[in-house]
Amino acid sequence: MGISVTDLSKHYGKVAAIGGVSFDIADGEFVSLLGPSGCGKTTTLRCIAGLEDATGGRISIGGRLVSAPAEGLLVPAHERQIGMVFQSYAVWPHMTVEQNVAFPLTVRGVPAAAAATEVADALRTVGLDHLAARHPSQLSGGQQQRVALARAIVGKPSVLLFDEPLSNLDAKLREGMRGEIHRLQRRLGIAAVYVTHDREEALSMSDRVIVMQQGRIEQSGAPRDLYRRPQNRFVADFVGKVGFLSLTRGDGAWVTGDGTHIVAASEDQPGPTALAAVRPENVRVLSRGSHGDEANLLAGRIAEVQYLGPFTEYLVEVAGGTLRGYAQADLLAGEDVTLAIAPEHLVLLPSE
Amino acid sequence: MTAIATKGRSPSERILHGLYLLTFGTVLVLVLLPISALIYGSFRTSAPGEAVGEWTLRNYANLASEGVLNTIWTTLWIGLVTAAFCIVIGTALALVVHRTDFRWPRLMTALIGLAFYFPSFIVAMAWIIMGSPGGIVNAVLGDLLGIGDWLRVDIYSAFGIIYVSVLHQVPFVYLTVRGPIIHMDATYEEAARASGARPSTVMRRVTLPLLGYSLASSFILVFILSIEQFAVPALIGIPGQVTMLATQLYLLVRFSPVDYGLAAAIGLTLSAITGLAIWIQRRITRAGRLTTVTGKAGRVAPIPLGRWRWAANLFCFGFITLALLLPMVILLYTSVLRWFTANPFAGMYTWRNYVFMWESASTWASFWNTLIVSGVGAMVGVMLGLLCSYFTLRLRPRGHSWLDFAVVLPFGVPGIVLGLGLLWAYAFLPLPLYGTIIVIIVAFVTRFLPYATETVGGQMVQIDRSLEEAAWVGGANRLTAARRIILPLIAPSVQGAYFLLFMAFFREISSAILLYSANTKVISISIWAFFEQANWGQASALSVAATLVIFVILLVIGWLVPAGRRF
Repeated sequence: MGISVTDLSKHYGKVAAIGGVSFDIADGEFVSLLGPSGCGKTTTLRCIAGLEDATGGRISIGGRLVSAPAEGLLVPAHERQIGMVFQSYAVWPHMTVEQNVAFPLTVRGVPAAAAATEVADALRTVGLDHLAARHPSQLSGGQQQRVALARAIVGKPSVLLFDEPLSNLDAKLREGMRGEIHRLQRRLGIAAVYVTHDREEALSMSDRVIVMQQGRIEQSGAPRDLYRRPQNRFVADFVGKVGFLSLTRGDGAWVTGDGTHIVAASEDQPGPTALAAVRPENVRVLSRGSHGDEANLLAGRIAEVQYLGPFTEYLVEVAGGTLRGYAQADLLAGEDVTLAIAPEHLVLLPSE
Repeated sequence: MTAIATKGRSPSERILHGLYLLTFGTVLVLVLLPISALIYGSFRTSAPGEAVGEWTLRNYANLASEGVLNTIWTTLWIGLVTAAFCIVIGTALALVVHRTDFRWPRLMTALIGLAFYFPSFIVAMAWIIMGSPGGIVNAVLGDLLGIGDWLRVDIYSAFGIIYVSVLHQVPFVYLTVRGPIIHMDATYEEAARASGARPSTVMRRVTLPLLGYSLASSFILVFILSIEQFAVPALIGIPGQVTMLATQLYLLVRFSPVDYGLAAAIGLTLSAITGLAIWIQRRITRAGRLTTVTGKAGRVAPIPLGRWRWAANLFCFGFITLALLLPMVILLYTSVLRWFTANPFAGMYTWRNYVFMWESASTWASFWNTLIVSGVGAMVGVMLGLLCSYFTLRLRPRGHSWLDFAVVLPFGVPGIVLGLGLLWAYAFLPLPLYGTIIVIIVAFVTRFLPYATETVGGQMVQIDRSLEEAAWVGGANRLTAARRIILPLIAPSVQGAYFLLFMAFFREISSAILLYSANTKVISISIWAFFEQANWGQASALSVAATLVIFVILLVIGWLVPAGRRF
């Protein structure tokens, strides 16, 4: 059940927007498609919704094959039993809140009485039951987004699709809505696909995150795995702040450009050279002279200082790369420092 | 898109596909039939419907004759001069009304709106009554002021054509540049003020250059209106022997020596000029869209008129007087005279023109014809425009770009040229349409179809795609989504397009002039016919009645469609 996507591709003429993407989403699972603009995440979602015609591969929703262009099968959007929330809300301005939410029911011929109960239920779920008679122009952006949410869930869809639904809301409202969407999906227990370019959104809400680039899947996994064990430079960079250090293999150990020995916990040996990715919260920035007891100590010089309130972010140039580190100490640009990194926090990636 | 690519169509998709084919077919017949008939005719030696005649290039060779070349030259320079005057006066009016502390901006906009709907042939008639050699102006100059020996006016001249065209078309410029002026982002001007520029410098260095694209586009449109118009150059230019392409075409068809082939070639020449101009105008608008200012409408501090207030008032109300009030007064005056005289104290007054109009069956018939043509024709035009916009902007099935192209073609075909094309076409078709009111409706719908698609389409492109997609996802097929989402959202523009076409059909003369018969006279043609018979009284009485009807309809529109109507 849920959603099954196999070798999905979408070509515009010769240009491939999606070049062979496969994943399965179980019922009750919340999966984000994360990537920069133009990576194919929205196109993938629209192919699942039936708003875009795939040019290859297969898509099943709830065990029913809905897209298989090779066999001439493309079920139109209105027959796919899905709920979708759009970036622009797409709440119809000429209908009241109630009429908006009732649309998926009335258009499918649900009797008015039954529809009214379901609409009331859906509106109560999103906390808008008191605004049922309003027109969308009388609602705030957040309220309009709730109307769109109610409309998406009212028809008891077998999957929920979200196309960057929070990007038009202001930061504070966005955080509140994140939790709400998540709880709602948990309660309904149906599969959800959530498209976003915001890594915090993806990491905080999802059971699983699929990182895409140039129409392909770069890596797929639970948020923690993705953040702590990225498989390549792109993923490491896209899911969070990171610094990179070029390493070479010498005398059975990893060394940096100036010959400092580096100990990494991972036994992976991508090759004679490697790229070590380090998250800034795992880098201790010490003034030169004081020494940490970590296995890896690197000499560097502060290139940039950004005071962020709870801590300061330092961009430190070391031999073989530039690392980021957070510290509460007040240091100056140009100052010589020592960076201390524990072995388990160095993630070795293949160097390009 | 999905609907077309899927194998095995559902009933709703079959209906949509059928509608698409029907729309496409109708547009092709409407647009391509007259144009191809015209092209055919331009290569023939005979008149439409005659069995004799042969293929020839003679008509095109004749285009190079001195007479035709002179006409082309006259047409072009009259068009350019008219457009230049219109742009200067229209922009100045808009700037005074909307950028200064002028006291009556709403009244002025309403009056200019009325002037816009005041038919050009009525303005021309009124000014002929005033400005002809035996007219009122010369009577005043000669008898009243005694300076008639060295100052006389003659409206029957190129100057007269330009004068009346400018009076008639300035409202068009005003209405097209008004929007950009009002909606211009105030911060551009405020930045100039903050940089130390005086209000007049801001106007010259910032405001006007920013309006550049709008002004250029408006200039070209007025140029097109000026060279393709028929009524004004016919009423004024034919007696004054100033021939423009539209009138030459008319003369070649209606008066001997008749030469339908040369008329067709001239029609195509005129269409080529207008078509080229429209192409340039579209390029300019497209380029302008990148730079045009579409920020929020903010109130800029109005420029104080100060001691020039009297001049601004004189300018604004002077224009309204010349373009609207004076012609109306003159028509009222002429309509109640037994015999025309320039001296109101020597006039013999009578109601007989109105009585005759009331009792004349043919006048009533032409009124009913006009109502049918306008009422039903506008309905057909809007329906067709709505379908075209939906298919070219929303559904976009295979071949939609050809439909889009065909729909805008009539923009480039002047009314009288379209009439000639239809004359050729229906002379050959085995349909018993020639001489019926249907031909008139066909002509009007074809001519004004682009107005319907522009109005409806303008609103349709603004509807975000996701509004329709949300309906599909919610379980609505394409037909249902169109009916329940798109249609209600564009309802105001459909209404607007209907009234626009209704008013245009009510005033239209150029595409009907070659097609009418005794049974299918519309009101504009009746007025025209009376005036040509030198029956000024009757023509004036009918004009007064028609103007009244137009103003009443405008009032009803204003009452039905409040300006602030939004969701």
